This record gives sequence, structure tokens and C-alpha cells, in this order.
Amino acid sequence: MTGRMDASNRVAIVGYGQSQLVRHAEVPLGTMTVETARRAIDDAGLKVTDVDGFVTASLFPTAGAHTAEDGVSLVSANWLAKALAVNPRYAAGFQGYGQLPGAVSLAVNAVASGAANYVLMHRALHNPRGSYHSNPMREARGSQQWTVPQGFFGPLAMIALAYNEYVQQYGASREAMAAVVAEARKNGARIPWSYWSANPLSRDQYLDAPMIDDPICRLDCDIPVDGVAAFVFTSAERARDLPRRPVYVAGYATGAPVRHRLPLHWPLDDIMEIGTETARRLWERSGVGPEEVDLPQVYDGFSPFVYFWMEALGLCGLGEAHERARDGGIDSDVKGAMPVLSGGGALGNGRMHGVPQMLECYLQLAGRAGARQRANASIGIACHSSPHFGGAVTYSAEQF
Amino acid sequence: MGMRPVPVPDETSGPFWNAAAAHVLSLARCARCGQFSHPPDTVCPHCGSTDPCFDFAPVDGSGEIRSWTVVRQSFLPGFDVPFVLVDVELSAQRDLRLVGRLLDGPDAALSVGAPVRLAFEDIASDVAVPAFELAERRRPGPGPTPRPGTRPGAAS
Repeated sequence: MTGRMDASNRVAIVGYGQSQLVRHAEVPLGTMTVETARRAIDDAGLKVTDVDGFVTASLFPTAGAHTAEDGVSLVSANWLAKALAVNPRYAAGFQGYGQLPGAVSLAVNAVASGAANYVLMHRALHNPRGSYHSNPMREARGSQQWTVPQGFFGPLAMIALAYNEYVQQYGASREAMAAVVAEARKNGARIPWSYWSANPLSRDQYLDAPMIDDPICRLDCDIPVDGVAAFVFTSAERARDLPRRPVYVAGYATGAPVRHRLPLHWPLDDIMEIGTETARRLWERSGVGPEEVDLPQVYDGFSPFVYFWMEALGLCGLGEAHERARDGGIDSDVKGAMPVLSGGGALGNGRMHGVPQMLECYLQLAGRAGARQRANASIGIACHSSPHFGGAVTYSAEQF
Repeated sequence: MGMRPVPVPDETSGPFWNAAAAHVLSLARCARCGQFSHPPDTVCPHCGSTDPCFDFAPVDGSGEIRSWTVVRQSFLPGFDVPFVLVDVELSAQRDLRLVGRLLDGPDAALSVGAPVRLAFEDIASDVAVPAFELAERRRPGPGPTPRPGTRPGAAS
């Protein structure tokens, strides 16, 4: 299938809930999720009993030796529906990377198909006690036998290999990345629920941070948090009867690498080749191009993804994103610059995957960003994960 | 330091680890199309055969560096830090990649395209893990080394 999605601009976000982002919550993740879901449903002007669809992506993304338990370290759609005492007409979970665009696509499809009228999409992320990624394993079995015995383990080495390829190919400097991370933290510092609220980061602080996996330092990684966000989706027709201004989903696209690789081996060529196709699909399905986007929110769970997404989306040329960043071209306070991290991203909020990008699109396009409200925000892009494994969603303030 | 994690061979990987113990890199090759894939999977990624009948054939393990990282914090037991991981494109077949430790130490001067040769680390009785060492750059060769083409016959 080619061309614009049938569902383009026919499904809208009509309310949201966002928890405080904390290092370790005093209540179980399931409790936070139920409370956040109730707030989102109330925000949309609905009752819990109106919600007949539940979707999520419940991945618990740690390489460490932590148990994944529903309602505690992750929250599935079915768990949440049961906790809210709803027997949903539709409940589904997205498997794989690109959890946010994946879950949004489930919500859009459920509403557009009539499988459900009001769909709650949530994302609940847990920060376990102890080291997030450390793993005391003595034996490497299954797919891990191909990488663990060599000491190739966890997402930091994964992103370090890809980022070093970029650094070697384009001469990207640490100073340029300092501008990226400082921009995320500057914007995150302005957000009340952010873990980094009122806590910006200077470029010098970034440059002083020690390396973990060269050229990745600790400040290139988002900080793990306990946090939950929830959004309510319904049809454009039903949205007219609800109190909040709807924000429409113009389109979505996800990617999937086709090349056979070792686990966590993400060569830069794969990221950019498949990522460019992800972007092409996004524009085609959404009916807009990069020049029409005034609120691009790129993913930044690891800072190099900012470059990869900017280039895959065509917001700048290949190999140019680091120069844009270095030269002030992504400063959300500068007129004419690309505000790619205006919502603070994951680096400026905490490890909420693509939630900060999605929430920034929603708040700005719904006119609900308060003191941070930008003038003339009309088309937003919310990205998540790597361009070749993840995806992106186009949001619009108006139907077109 | 404690012990590094040891691989537990299974039906798809036994020949690979048996060969490694003898310091031979032996990779899975599809009986249908003759292409190597690493790691072996249920479907051949090259020809799509669902019955690839992988056999394991030795390859010389030389290649060139595509990327690297210096690991300064290990999330696994048994690794002294810092150490270097290299992403190597093996000369045996285009885009056949192996990620391993570079045994020259964290101060070695590295560049994309730098040639490496295979090495092995004996980490336990009868358990050896493939690794790499820098090799002499071949001359003449102004500019970057051309990418090796598909050479299934290169296995020695």
C-alpha cells in the first residue's frame, strides 16, 4: 500500500495524564499507572466506564538481572483494564522497539476500525533498585552466547559503536554533543514533572563527564525513572463533543531492520538506510513533508539518536546534524532554529522512552503548554528509539 | 576478577564453540546458497531457505575495523576495564560482521578500515573466545581500503 493512510487525521488525542518522574516511586508502578490513567480519562471529560480500549507497549528495557512482573516492573494493557475494573472491547500490547509509535498505531487502528470508541494508551516505566544494566551471569546462553563472552553487552556498547562510526565519518565533536545535551536539559528544567525540573546542565558539565563506552559518557544517557504517561484517543467526530481541543494523528511509520546482525549490533549504515525508509513512509502516510513540520521532536534516549533522526527525517543533510547543534541550530529559544528537543526529550525528563516527544507534540498543538507555549505550532513529529528499529508519529493541530 | 561468563553451546552453536576451543573460527554456512551467516538463525538471511542445513566452515578471520569503543565500565563479571571492542567486517564475505575484543590494549591507535587478524582468548578449560589483533596495513593502498566483495571461496 502506498499513499496517505485512510485513518489520517480521523483519530485524535483528547486528554492526557503524566505522573511525576522520580528515581524510585514510593508506590508500585501499577498504582502510579492507575492514578495516571484516571487523570487522563478525567482530563478528556470521560468516565472510566466510557473507555473500551486499552493499548500499550510494556517492555522493561533493562539488560540487568531484574524480574519483569506485571503491575510492578511493567504494566500491560490487560493488567490496567482489570485494575480499573473494565472489561475492554479491545486490549492489545505492542511488541518490539519503537514502543510509543507502536502503541499509538494500535490506538489509532482500534479507533479507526471501530474496534473501540475511546482508547487509553499508557506507557509505564520502572527503575529497578541496584544497577540498571549490571548482570552477574556466569553463563551465556541462547542469543547472548554470540556477544557476552566477548564482553559486548548492553545498550551502551551498542550505541557507542554506532556513534563512533558517526564521529569518525563526519568529525563530530564533543562540543557539538554538549550543545545537544545542554539543550535537552535546559528545556527539561522548565517542566514541572521532569526529573530534571529546575536543574539544567551546562556544556562544561557535559564536557567534564567521564566516558563509559567511548565516545559515550554518562550524560549521553537518559536517567532511569519511575514514571507513567497516559493518553486518550477517540475519533475526530466524538472529539467534537469533548472539552479539550483535539490533536489529530496525521500518520505513523515504524521501521524494522532487514539485515541479519548480532544482538545489539546496530551499524550506522543500518540505522540510516532503514531510518530513511521509515521517514519516507512517515511523510507518505501523513501527507506532509519535513518542510511543513514546525515541531519536530526527535528521540534522545541516547544523545546520538538526535543526529540520526534529524538526518533520517531530512531535517538536515547527512552528516550535518552535529554542525547544526554546535552552531545553535537546535536552540528552541532561537527564532528560525529547529526546536527538536523543545519538550526536553528523554535526556531532559528521564527515561520515559518517546513519551516526552509525544507529550510535547500534544501539549503544544493543543495549546496547553502554558508558559512554554510556542506560537504557531501546527505539525509535530514524535520519534522514538532508533530510526531503523523504532518509528515516528505525525500530529496535527488541524485536520487537513 | 572473577570468571568471565562462558558460552553454553547448543544445537545451533556446538560446532562454532568446538572449533573456537581449537582456535579456529568456524562459521555457519547455508547448504542451499553457500553464504555465511553469523549467528546462524532458523531461516537463511541470504536465500530465505527454511532448511538451510548449516554446516560450519573455517574462515581465516582477517578483516577490517568498521567501528570501535573503549569499554570503561563493564556490566558483566570478569572483565578488567578498560578494554576495546571492535566491530569487524570479515574479509571472508561482504558485510559479515563480528564484534570482539581487540587485544592490543586501550591505547592502540585505531581507525576505520584498519586491518585486523583473528586471535583467541582462553577463558576456561576447553573454552576459547574469538578476539582480534591489529595487523599490518597492506601496501600499496592510498586512500581507504576497498570493501571486500563476496568471496565464499575464501575459507581456508
